[in-house]
Amino acid sequence: MKTIYMDNNATTRVAPEVVEAILPFLKENYFNPSSMYGPARDASDAIENARRRIAARLGAEADEILFTSCATESNNAAIRGALKAEPSRRHVITTAVEHPAVLEVVADLERRGFPVTFLPVNRKGEMDVRDFVRALREDTLLVTVMHANNESGVIFPVEDLARIVKETDPSILFHTDATQSTGKLPIDWKGNFRHVDLLSFSGHKLHAPKGVGALVVRRGSRWRPFLIGGHQERSRRAGTENVAFIAGLATALDLALENREEEVARLEAMRDRLERELTARIPWLEVNGQGAARLPNTLNLAVHYIEGEGILYQLDAHGICASSGSACTSGSLEPSHVLRAMKVPFTAVHGSVRFSLSRYNTGEEIDRVIEVFPEIVRNLRKLSPYWDSAKDRPREDAKERLEGTSRS
Amino acid sequence: MGWDYSEKTKKLFMDAVKGVPGTHLGEIEDPDGLGEHGSIACGDALRFTFRVDRHPSDPTKDVIVEARYLTFGCTSAIAASEALCRLIEEKKVTPIEALAIKNQDIVDYVDGLPEQKIHCSVMGAEALQAAVFNWAQKRGVDLGKLGIDILPEEQDEGRMVCKCFGLTEPYIRRKIKELNLRSIPQITNAIKAGGACMTCHHTPGGLQDILDDVWGKEERVVIQSGDFPIRREAAPSASGFSDYQLGKMVEKTIDEEVRPTLHKDGGDIEIVDIKGTMVYARLTGACETCAIGDRTLHFVVERALKEKVDERIRVIAV
Repeated sequence: MKTIYMDNNATTRVAPEVVEAILPFLKENYFNPSSMYGPARDASDAIENARRRIAARLGAEADEILFTSCATESNNAAIRGALKAEPSRRHVITTAVEHPAVLEVVADLERRGFPVTFLPVNRKGEMDVRDFVRALREDTLLVTVMHANNESGVIFPVEDLARIVKETDPSILFHTDATQSTGKLPIDWKGNFRHVDLLSFSGHKLHAPKGVGALVVRRGSRWRPFLIGGHQERSRRAGTENVAFIAGLATALDLALENREEEVARLEAMRDRLERELTARIPWLEVNGQGAARLPNTLNLAVHYIEGEGILYQLDAHGICASSGSACTSGSLEPSHVLRAMKVPFTAVHGSVRFSLSRYNTGEEIDRVIEVFPEIVRNLRKLSPYWDSAKDRPREDAKERLEGTSRS
Repeated sequence: MGWDYSEKTKKLFMDAVKGVPGTHLGEIEDPDGLGEHGSIACGDALRFTFRVDRHPSDPTKDVIVEARYLTFGCTSAIAASEALCRLIEEKKVTPIEALAIKNQDIVDYVDGLPEQKIHCSVMGAEALQAAVFNWAQKRGVDLGKLGIDILPEEQDEGRMVCKCFGLTEPYIRRKIKELNLRSIPQITNAIKAGGACMTCHHTPGGLQDILDDVWGKEERVVIQSGDFPIRREAAPSASGFSDYQLGKMVEKTIDEEVRPTLHKDGGDIEIVDIKGTMVYARLTGACETCAIGDRTLHFVVERALKEKVDERIRVIAV
């Protein structure tokens, strides 16, 4: 059975071109880029070449790019490095729907006594910029707001938020986690992103391998290194560089941005068709984030009255890989914090399924999902105590039943 | 993470969703016993029904001949429900004998469950118990007289400990003893308590305190937060006016000088916030999409405020 991979917001297949770019540094040029001999020089040149290419793609200067091991490291470094820059300020602004690599770091700060504002989102997953403005304080140290949400795909107006921050007080640092948007949405460090100080992304969401990421640090930003203990990256990120994967990251970003607009249009057309066909075939199906600006590749569905893990399990039986925000798939017992922040009704929050596409997905794969998904939903609804399969709608007494079974 | 299920669990689930003959999906009409457990908010819920062969004279000799379930839940919740029905039908037991079926029997029947899925089997055992009590009521059997502990309606009465899953102290206490739960993770795996916001773990009267009380206190480390938020004094306004006065003057000027002009073009302005001399505003109505909106804010609104209120005022577009 052929695998249909539609979980590209989790990770992506490594592009063959990227593999080609990586291999020489695993096979022949294995030298430590910090060493003095000739061959090591090639390794350090490869890093600098990658740095220049990535900088050029983002409209940044080469010395603004720091290589890290992943976006989680970049986020930790950005936030913790910002704290050290100005100890007299303490207030941090973020959103309730950040990736745990930001949310947990900020929650940790809050436990240590830093005042934190977690901005809410509306039913569509959007932020109200007015809430953001009102949250800004005299002692605000750092704003960290993601560019696009990994679960819902909803895009935040980072350009506007960063501008408002800098017009209010240029010494407030602005960080954005652009892990899901880099390579998909326009990012111009001297253009639309000119007010952003710090930007994180990783390789494995754009067809480079896991284990490499970057933090873009604007020249002159007051930010202190997080990982110390070596002179690498101008002493701003210690540790022997992952030469091979850094070379791969540059190639991956080139590939993503060369044909970005056409690729985005193709992904969006596939995603929209999947969305249209599934909503037409399945009653009581919601599209999370519908009506908001969204990533072109992400479709997050909430299926009422069934549970997501059973959906994933059946999709898996068809070779289809997707993910869910259901409590049973989260490792904890809580359903997705993103969907709860969006106030997705509790009859549907456990039944969420996310399909996220990449350049390797095809129209035939979309057809296949359209073919099997409705039956998977029907199968589980037949088992659901809240669903009337004969009439294909919630049972008449579903509401009372929901209220009557509070005991657990 | 992946699916850490036994082959038996997977088969029970797939058979159930495909409606293979011999599976127990459904609900018995006018059942002799009906029990429900869980809720959709928690992520799983089970509606369990059974039918008995009624004994002509002695209801305690009724034998369960048919069991059915409807389950909202994950793969293992559905497999556990299916297992429960099979166990009961295979055993040909009276409802009272059925009470001997515990969650561990369900776990064994499905060849084991991952630790974090144990609660699925507990749900099955709880629904069975509820159905047996329901049968006893309908058939006029006094379980108390037979020496069977009729559980008090503890859930409605006790102090709420785990607010996320709506679990009370008496219930948690009983389950700790029944299932021999020795740590907070074990409690969470079995009955979900403390699995969401986790604030009930170490608060006074929380899960750790209940555990200590049930099993006796052991030495443990209490982590205390180190420092507290600083309190900042309100900074005096540079213009000599208080922030309140400044805000009032801004609003007055906008009402008198700015709005009338904007209204002429079918537009308006919304003041989002005023922080000191910074005025956060957005144009609305016809002005919202106006190509010169930003310039209007700066040249019309900001200029008027600089003139009439304070020359340091800046208008920031929101």
